[in-house]
Amino acid sequence: MKAVSSRGFDGDKLLTITCVVIPLVALALFFLYPMYIVFIRSITLPDGGLGLQNYIETLSSTGFWRATRHSMLMGLTTMVFSVLFGFIIALGLHRCSFKGKWLIRAVIILPLLAPSLVQALGLIFLLGRNGVINRFFGLELDIYGFWGLTIANTLYALPQVVMIISASLVLLDQRLYEAAEIMGAKPLRQFRDLTLPAIYYAVLNAAFVVFIITITDFGNAAVIGGDYSVLATEIYTQVIGLRNFNMGAVVGIMLLLPTVISYYIERKAMQRQQGKTSTNIQAFVPKFMPYRDVPMAVACYLIIGAILAVIAIVVYASFVKLWPYNFDFTFKHFDITLAGGYSSLWITIAISLGAAIGGTFLIFILSFGLLRLPQKLSQALQVLAAMPAAVPGIVLGLAYILTFNSTSTPLHVLYGTAILIAAINFYHYHTQAFLTVMTGFRQFPAALEEASSTLGAGLGRTAISVIVPFIAPMLVSVFFFLFMRSMVTLSAVIFLTTPQLDVAAVTIMRLDDAGLTSQAAAFSTCVMAVVCLSLGIMKLILSMQSKNKVGAA
Amino acid sequence: MYLTVRNATKLYGSFTALDDVCISIEQGEFVCLLGPSGCGKTTLLRLIAGLTDIDSGEVTLEGESLSGLPARKRGFGIVFQSYSLFPNMTIAENIGYGLKIRDTPVNQINTRVTELLDLIKLPQIADKFPGQLSGGQQQRVALARAIAVDPRVLLLDEPLSALDAKVRGDLRDEILQLQRALGIPTLMVTHDQEEALALADKIICMNQGAVVQAGTPKELYQKPATRFVADFMGTSNLIKTEVIRSFMPELLGMRPEGDDEVYDACIRPEAIKIEPNVNGDALVKSIGFLGNLSKIKLESTLGDLIVEVHGAIDLEENQNVSLQINPADCNWVLNDVVETAS
Repeated sequence: MKAVSSRGFDGDKLLTITCVVIPLVALALFFLYPMYIVFIRSITLPDGGLGLQNYIETLSSTGFWRATRHSMLMGLTTMVFSVLFGFIIALGLHRCSFKGKWLIRAVIILPLLAPSLVQALGLIFLLGRNGVINRFFGLELDIYGFWGLTIANTLYALPQVVMIISASLVLLDQRLYEAAEIMGAKPLRQFRDLTLPAIYYAVLNAAFVVFIITITDFGNAAVIGGDYSVLATEIYTQVIGLRNFNMGAVVGIMLLLPTVISYYIERKAMQRQQGKTSTNIQAFVPKFMPYRDVPMAVACYLIIGAILAVIAIVVYASFVKLWPYNFDFTFKHFDITLAGGYSSLWITIAISLGAAIGGTFLIFILSFGLLRLPQKLSQALQVLAAMPAAVPGIVLGLAYILTFNSTSTPLHVLYGTAILIAAINFYHYHTQAFLTVMTGFRQFPAALEEASSTLGAGLGRTAISVIVPFIAPMLVSVFFFLFMRSMVTLSAVIFLTTPQLDVAAVTIMRLDDAGLTSQAAAFSTCVMAVVCLSLGIMKLILSMQSKNKVGAA
Repeated sequence: MYLTVRNATKLYGSFTALDDVCISIEQGEFVCLLGPSGCGKTTLLRLIAGLTDIDSGEVTLEGESLSGLPARKRGFGIVFQSYSLFPNMTIAENIGYGLKIRDTPVNQINTRVTELLDLIKLPQIADKFPGQLSGGQQQRVALARAIAVDPRVLLLDEPLSALDAKVRGDLRDEILQLQRALGIPTLMVTHDQEEALALADKIICMNQGAVVQAGTPKELYQKPATRFVADFMGTSNLIKTEVIRSFMPELLGMRPEGDDEVYDACIRPEAIKIEPNVNGDALVKSIGFLGNLSKIKLESTLGDLIVEVHGAIDLEENQNVSLQINPADCNWVLNDVVETAS
């Protein structure tokens, strides 16, 4: 027998390096470089020199201050409401005992499955000038502006709050409560001494996340904001309307500030949680307590009802003849009269598939390679790979237009192509996808890989025959996550669409702009149908995978 | 009787977790609930604590029924396998929590906490957080937290199972010392027979939701009532009646009346004396040397036997030996185990 590998050339090492380098180069080109460009552009003066003139100019313009004041006010109000409501729902789901929680769990994710402007559309059907409420009660409520925007964003942000607070609640072991109970603590005291301290950081974090997604969201502001200018619409006006790229860059850089703070808080919260993760958490099983659970159930159902009403009304309105005068059933709104018709829907599906396939592949090889690098290097690169989450979609979109619209780089060829939109969708959600796959890899038993390589399999072969099947559920989740986000995202792509290349969310906005609100609703319904369908397919695949695993074990 | 459980029954759907269980604990007694996982021992402990509702039956403390009394009003102390210290509180706050709830003045709490930290031999950790301590330290703190309020009963739910062997041994001794010094009636759930033997004044051996046998560790080891207990409490050679009748009828003297299938002979490995004998009818199959003792596997007319002798033994494999068993060392146990193919 020959010695197996005494060659100087190590194929496994080469594979590792390739796996890391390709995604990292892409990350540099499509994330770091554009971010660098935004920064440079924000300090580039009209004469080409560098300086803080843009900042001074922006800070002294009344339009900027008005938009900032509006954004702050609206962001803070939204924050208070959605954290309060999300807190109630998370507590209801995890600390109360009542029936129908599956319904709450199902409805709470709906806002994630629709373009952000769907909340605004729904509110217009419900409370707008021609809304059912105004018609039915003969009122003259004006939903456009601050309140409309605040309500729409509150509903839009709720899922995130519920998810963040829930994640910290489920880490709190039942036995902690039992220990406190036996020591004599009453339920209210247990809540004060155990629950509240444990979710303190989560609530803080949720508050910041809400604030950020609210002030950087474009869709709701464009549809229901009316004359109430906010930072997101201000950037759009500066860049697209006035071609004032450098000022846009300044606002973009400023929008990064709250995100950086939030990022810091999240890190801190995670450190705290890491210190106390116990291996086998026993989930809290609440006992029925009428004076606590009945009001909580009512509150949860009311909040859920609002989310459902606003989204359901969009679907309903797309099927009636003339909202709100003639409720006869019709398909006519599905005949899109705007130029292009459904082409943007098909393009969006293609783009989303591209982002999902390319993204899943890149994330997989990156994670695979990173875990084989020396620890220190790997950790540094992991921090880098987790960075895109800190950049709001609208800022990333701005960075892309500044970078790829410029003829000074060869990357200009990508401008106006679907590839660029797929890329921005992927890098916008890079962090979540990366963390999911990394979690999968961390659960992978090292012994399995060792066993495979001891049997003589090279790293590439081990990867395909042993590792991929093991983390397949993570890959499936990431694929569909990227697909669904790409289908509905608006803020990131708003700068990159052209008359020849529209995406679905932008078409909805244009239909609404053109006064074709019912067609906008119909188009939204189609987008939601595609997303719900893909969610269904994902659940089906995941359940089939887990069945196979049980069968094999 | 200090604490009693009478006719406790608990169902989870169609699964009977506890079936008409009766137990009692005397003042100052250390009682172990011993049994394999799923035997209902933890359910019984939770029922006594008031953490799980009882379907039927009654728990009484000093003659008073605890029915309907919520866990927080029973005045017990509990320690879980998973430590379960409050992660957001310092060690001192953890230990003082029960006293704080009882509105004890701050300086009294501080005195008590210092005293308890000395007692568990960790005087320096008052201001640390649970996450900064090792498993063994956390469990000591959990113990201190449970006894801080002078509980009427101390409940321990597999407190040592999550620790590694060395720490487990140390903490076991400390729990025993502490319990003896404070005299708190204690109920400990464990699946480790060695732990139960070392700690308990009384062991209650459970299987499939019922109490199989209760008694002192000595009684359970030397006079197991059933095959299950004999098997669970250490190693034993269990031999069918007809085999004994054919090859060692002298052991039948102590056998209770009953059909052949009802009782089996139980002979502990250390009760079998062996001697090299070319005409002996037992054959040495293997010898395992474990330092303080040797474990010898034999093939004999009684079937395969396990014998343990102190220290090393001068024997070889495939050597013939003769057996000697004192009839007093042969216990007859009820055959409560359904025979399986193996």
